[in-house]
Amino acid sequence: MIYYIGAIGLIIIGLYIVLTKRNLIKIIIGLDLFETGIFILLICAGYVRGGTAPIFSEAGIDASLMVDPVPQALVLTAIVIGVATLALALSLAIRLYRHYGTLDMQKIRELKW
Amino acid sequence: MVNPVLLIVIPLGLTFAIPLCGFISKRMVKYIPILGMIFNLVIAIALIPQVMKAPIIIKLGGFPVPFGINLMVDTLAAFLVALISLVGLMISIYATHYIKKGATQNYHMLYLLLLVGASGIVLTGDIFNLFVFFEILCISSYALVAYNGDKPGIEAATKYLIQGTVGSGLILIGIALLYGRFGTLNMAHIAQQIHSTTLLSMFVPLAFLLTGFGVEAAILPLNAWLPDAHSSAPSSISAILSGIAIKTGVYAIIRVIFILFGAHSLLHFILFLGLLTLLVGELAAFRQNNIKRMLAYSSTGQIGLIIFAVGLASTMGIEGALFQITAHALAKALLFLAVGYMIYRSGSMEIDSLAGMGKKMPVVSIAATIGVFSLIGFPPFVGFASKFIIVKATLAQNDLLLTILLGFVLLATVIECAYFLRVIQILYFKNSSQHSKQSLGGTSPAVLIPICIFVVFIVGLGIYPEVLSKILNSAARMLLDRGAYIRSVLSP
Repeated sequence: MIYYIGAIGLIIIGLYIVLTKRNLIKIIIGLDLFETGIFILLICAGYVRGGTAPIFSEAGIDASLMVDPVPQALVLTAIVIGVATLALALSLAIRLYRHYGTLDMQKIRELKW
Repeated sequence: MVNPVLLIVIPLGLTFAIPLCGFISKRMVKYIPILGMIFNLVIAIALIPQVMKAPIIIKLGGFPVPFGINLMVDTLAAFLVALISLVGLMISIYATHYIKKGATQNYHMLYLLLLVGASGIVLTGDIFNLFVFFEILCISSYALVAYNGDKPGIEAATKYLIQGTVGSGLILIGIALLYGRFGTLNMAHIAQQIHSTTLLSMFVPLAFLLTGFGVEAAILPLNAWLPDAHSSAPSSISAILSGIAIKTGVYAIIRVIFILFGAHSLLHFILFLGLLTLLVGELAAFRQNNIKRMLAYSSTGQIGLIIFAVGLASTMGIEGALFQITAHALAKALLFLAVGYMIYRSGSMEIDSLAGMGKKMPVVSIAATIGVFSLIGFPPFVGFASKFIIVKATLAQNDLLLTILLGFVLLATVIECAYFLRVIQILYFKNSSQHSKQSLGGTSPAVLIPICIFVVFIVGLGIYPEVLSKILNSAARMLLDRGAYIRSVLSP
């Protein structure tokens, strides 16, 4: 239960940062927190208290004690995707700073409705 | 029979062959996307007659279905792959001439990767695999929007990236909740265990998935990124984003609603959202002075129309929605290419700067006019056929409320008519003030060929809509038959 609360807390903190902060770097940090929260949520979905790795090396391990490996594989994939997004976001932030001389998203508004 | 997995594998392989080819010859690189898309187009068209009889299920890696990832090629998937590769092929031909500055090699790589993502989304039968392909599409489109490296491009890409990342995060939460509940990621296997969406435990993941995919599909409250991204990107990228990328979001929403959840109780909500998106999109387009922004807002409006037709939930409604997807993909890609070429030559995106183009570039202007007429829905073009089916499907429901809503849809068409005809008027009947004397020279064949082929398709399918409606009818029936989908995937 505590894991779920932690995961959802991270997600909410991340979203809050994305929505309220003006500095682009802070927004990117918020995105990262948001994603990390989701990863923990996914891991929680497959976690078994006191469980072990699902490897059939020793005889006699109860199958119900094994941790579900699928969410971990999913999280690995999602982390790779997250890294790609983050790298792209940071490189865009560098270019944005070169163009505007600021990272304040309130001041960067060439495009309007 | 050709294995449909090649539809993903061959373009993906070619994508990573591009930097290798760059070592040998820099000029060869830009023809590789053309190669990949011709291959996909041929295979997809060859698959359509087969999958109309029975869907093809491919088990990747030979794992039995609920454990491994499977590809699910039904009529809808095969047809959409054909559409994606057709539009992708035309735009890659255009790009050989249009994209000259900057890191062209990276452009072609990302472009092909985007198309791989789109094809993968359409083909896969596994919800997490869908998410991965979705991210492939999104990340490559963020980078492509920023390709020019100018102020608006970078700014639009940053906004798009922030919103898109939050959206895909929401999709992932939805997937996590579904996995936690059912312990499986296979769409058919999940669908088998969902009987009703009235329970809160089912409604929450559904809401997360819809919101997440809604960001990419640019449904009303989530569409803030679209006008910036579509107007600041290079025109070839605007064409692929408007023609293909937002349609994949719509596709994912259709799959989630009809196959995964069978959420028919939600459809009235979807219908209203579609109508609102349509009206707001068209009204916003009406007051634009920048031609690409106008086209981008018009894309929002058209997506609203598609969502409206999806919300009707009858076979004919879905058929209309798919027809509209096709019509919009062809017409909007054509318009972005034609207008992009005019901007390329005149150097300004203001609508007024297009004055007199009808005389300077007759072929491109006529093509743009045909695209506009098709979008509005004038009779001999494909846009008429699609709007006609949607109107017919709405009236067939025999519901007073729907008939009133249809009035609003037609009102939106009138607004669309008003602003598009203004463009046509400026194009032909307004003399440009200063630089009207100088001739603009010939038009490159790499620009003319894709534009002419789009025109041929728009006129051809407008005159013979039966060709398309037979395929789309089969696709719509398969989409509404949730039980058959589950059976065909899960039975060995």
